[in-house]
Amino acid sequence: MLCQNCQKNEAKMHMKRIINGSATEVHLCSDCARSLGYGDSFGSFGLGFSDLFSDLLGRSEKTLSGSSTLRCSLCGKSFSDIAESGRVGCAECYVTFYDKLLPTLRKIHGKTTHQGKIPENFSETVQAPQIDVNDLKEQLKLAVEREDFELAAQLRDEINALLGGAK
Amino acid sequence: MGAKWYLGTGAQNDVIISTSVHLVRNLREFPFPQMLSLQDKLKVNSIIKDAASSLGDYNFNYLEMKMLSQYEVVSLAERHLISPEFASSRDGRALLITDDEAVSVMLNEEDHIRFQVMYAAFSLDEAYKTANEIDNALSQKLNFAFDERIGYLTQDPTIIGTGMKASVVLHLPGLASLMQIPKLISTVQKLGLTLRGSYGEGAAAKGDLFRLSNSITLGISEKAAIENLKSIALQIAAQERSAREEILKSNATEDKIFRAYGTLKYARLIDTDELMELMSLVRLGAVKGLINIDTAKIEGMMINMQPATISLSVDRPLDRNGRDMLRAKRVRELLG
Repeated sequence: MLCQNCQKNEAKMHMKRIINGSATEVHLCSDCARSLGYGDSFGSFGLGFSDLFSDLLGRSEKTLSGSSTLRCSLCGKSFSDIAESGRVGCAECYVTFYDKLLPTLRKIHGKTTHQGKIPENFSETVQAPQIDVNDLKEQLKLAVEREDFELAAQLRDEINALLGGAK
Repeated sequence: MGAKWYLGTGAQNDVIISTSVHLVRNLREFPFPQMLSLQDKLKVNSIIKDAASSLGDYNFNYLEMKMLSQYEVVSLAERHLISPEFASSRDGRALLITDDEAVSVMLNEEDHIRFQVMYAAFSLDEAYKTANEIDNALSQKLNFAFDERIGYLTQDPTIIGTGMKASVVLHLPGLASLMQIPKLISTVQKLGLTLRGSYGEGAAAKGDLFRLSNSITLGISEKAAIENLKSIALQIAAQERSAREEILKSNATEDKIFRAYGTLKYARLIDTDELMELMSLVRLGAVKGLINIDTAKIEGMMINMQPATISLSVDRPLDRNGRDMLRAKRVRELLG
């Protein structure tokens, strides 16, 4: 299927949009998707990512040899099911295929460690999230690049506090 | 219907029209919706509905999507209360929504729970605070799928981690007219954000309305993501103000604004695209003090004059000509 925007390349991204009063499927190639603001990650509510994601997974799958018979104990998906469909079946899949999914998460987000909130009732042995000094340094770099010096100063203090505390 | 979330004004409102924070959550005990039978989806709906009914501060209406007509469903999507994906297939899906439409919760979209909090103008801190309170209250009742290494687990790996997308809708007629949008899209991508048409795509974005949101959700805290978005949104707003100064130096822009106003006041047929284009100019005229009209009224029209939403207002499907005629009539009345 050709991209609806340029009518030249093969469409890689398929998503639902509301056009003139009805839900319509839109097909875009990766170049047009990027220039229209879809970038490497697709959006707030319900925007398709599956082709790009299965591309990413598909590539890493090819480099892994053999045994793909491991199946998720909750939903029964194998890793090749996920790679082909571009869809993770359940929360347990992330645990079962953690190592195989991690490179994809890094490609999408640039990082692989959660820094955000923890559910209030999360009962397992919860440690305070490890704040990664390198992540803070990265954020500091971004803040300086966009000349947000207030945030930069705040980040610098946090980094100093962490480094000071570690000594 | 009472007052809606968008009937408010506030900080940065000349450029920043609205703010929303979306959170994505799944129940630990169930596979993601695409792997669920209809029966299990209904079970998930009822568990979440019960949990939500115990949130005293919010009075949610519960709508089963299957019970709604086609134009009711599409209208919800036009008003950004549900996603196009959610509108495209209705079985086993349900919506929890407050009367003022400020909080809406999609059940069994790609994840069990996708909820959003919407505020008028630039209110990221307030919107996050509300979203966080609802999330905390729900987490007292529900076991969310969470992994301490990679955060909240979601069907879509592009939102894993915080499961949070925060966004602001920006009105950028100045930058669009100076052809700055494509450059801006690629600049914000480098900063971990996305910018795209709020109605329609890229340079063809209708009404010069664009949505700016965070694209990274793993390895960044909610607070840092919000601060980052805030700071870029303010910079874009400042650029937009200079762009407006620039285009208003020419009296051709002023002429366009008043022609748009004239067309809206007298036209007998207006389609959605034309309405959005003209409203964008009138909004620019309003914030620059050229036309005396409340911007909340303009935002209300941009939302309520969409094709399915205008059909919904008379509670029957209208053909294109019927919609264009009714739209023109409503706009004439509102602009008096």
